[in-house]
Amino acid sequence: MAWDNQYIHALVLIIAITVAFLTIMLLVAATVLAERRVLALIQGRLGPNRVGFGGVLQPFADFIKTMMKEDLVPDQSTRFVFLLAPMIAVITAIMAIIVYPFGPTITLPFLGTFPLRIAQFDVALLYVLGVTSVGVYGIALAGWSSNNKYSLMGGLRSSAQMISYELALGLSLIGVILLCGTLDIYRIVEQQSGWYGLHWNIIYQPLGFILYLIAAIAETNRVPFDLPEAETELVAGFHTEYSSIKFLLFFNAEYINMITVSMLATTLFLGGWNGPGVAQFPLLGVFYFFAKIVFFLFLYIWLRGTLPRFRFDQLMDFGWKFLLPAAILNIVLTATFLYLFT
Amino acid sequence: MAIGCAIAMVSQSNPLYSAISLIGVFISLASIYVTLAAPFIAAVQVIVYAGAIMVLVIFVIMLLNVEHSEPRRKRLKFLVPMAIGMAAILLAETVFILHSVQTTENRLPGNISDVGLTHSIGEGLFTRYLLPFELTSVLLLMAIVGAMSLARRTSTLSATARVVPGAQVLAMDIANPSGVQDLRPVETETTEEAAHLLGVDFQSDRSKQA
Repeated sequence: MAWDNQYIHALVLIIAITVAFLTIMLLVAATVLAERRVLALIQGRLGPNRVGFGGVLQPFADFIKTMMKEDLVPDQSTRFVFLLAPMIAVITAIMAIIVYPFGPTITLPFLGTFPLRIAQFDVALLYVLGVTSVGVYGIALAGWSSNNKYSLMGGLRSSAQMISYELALGLSLIGVILLCGTLDIYRIVEQQSGWYGLHWNIIYQPLGFILYLIAAIAETNRVPFDLPEAETELVAGFHTEYSSIKFLLFFNAEYINMITVSMLATTLFLGGWNGPGVAQFPLLGVFYFFAKIVFFLFLYIWLRGTLPRFRFDQLMDFGWKFLLPAAILNIVLTATFLYLFT
Repeated sequence: MAIGCAIAMVSQSNPLYSAISLIGVFISLASIYVTLAAPFIAAVQVIVYAGAIMVLVIFVIMLLNVEHSEPRRKRLKFLVPMAIGMAAILLAETVFILHSVQTTENRLPGNISDVGLTHSIGEGLFTRYLLPFELTSVLLLMAIVGAMSLARRTSTLSATARVVPGAQVLAMDIANPSGVQDLRPVETETTEEAAHLLGVDFQSDRSKQA
């Protein structure tokens, strides 16, 4: 096949990146709408249901409206950092997407076979963790550069929170790495195929899965861990001073982070694109992959509708005194079982 | 880009800008590792330095909020020639290494694309290089213990000294630690008591302020 030609290869990669980007953006829009509708359902309201059929065009209308707003930069702010912060937030959020396999290798008529992923490399999992850890700067610098005490509090809270929970997040994944013996996400997904879902890592790593879920919610600053932007105490936290498109970037970054975290949970614990019938119809894998992501996104919205916010000292106590020891216990248990039974 | 960030880091007057430039240096360094076929080192570089250590540094800078630091007095002037000498040695070393790499024949062991991978690094770290690896961790432990002990030893006051906050200001301002021979810790319950021990007329000071 002509795929060995480097120019064609580059072109295919660019197309793949564009498609993945657009898919994620549409998923963000859908999540925003779904969040508002489901929250309304939980709280006995109607939610936005007028723009388009059942409100499907509401996120786009909101997008245009926010774009039209005046772009304010506070007088006393640190201008360069103020502009840099939303970019860091959204770029690091998007960068993590490239390692996830959206589906198995598929064969298209006249085009040959190609895998439904953008990049495959040896340290994909570490790459994801690294990119996520750089994402903290977006929020921390935004809080600092706004020159606003509420924003600064939000930024400080978020850096403290993300440092604390990143540890637990990383440690909760070590169980999976021990089981699979690789850091390559594609290979981890492949190892979970077959046996009608009994090879999924969630069955061997229930504790790791729960720990990961909790740490991931804290890492994305969502309810009940949304202290950096606790609107009842801090106005809007780190993005109080941001308006127009810069606010949109932060908003997007938060939802993209939710999606990537869900993708990681799906690929590592729920078998990625694996599901009934994938061996015969590989394209079904894409459907299963997104179905599992939507499940996690629904979980996020559900939690937001039902749980109150933590107090900050409770948050820190929970992270350091419960989550971290539990994650270490999980590693010890996994290693012991692996040593005894293999 | 790495060099530009490094220059920016040293020359910036605002510590936060320096910190951001340092993050830039680390990330460019990681990209250099990637081009040298060492993705594992690159990822670890980003996670540990850019992700963990620099977040702490920025956190501290933000907490202290040292924005307008006054230009420092040239206290350590004698270090300048030393720094130049060190830089010259480093430059000579770089030239030597570049020269020797170009003259000796290429003799890397095994498959070159294998070296930077996670598997080979893990194997090397826990078999052949186990002793250096463990020694490094002991070194880190020593650093932690040293930092703890330094932080514990605060001022001239002993750890058991009970000084009310107001009295501590008095002691620093008026007692003039460098001028006084007797540096006993001040142990008082109230500000008046501390003022009395230090031989300061605390009451008249306060009435003057009021």
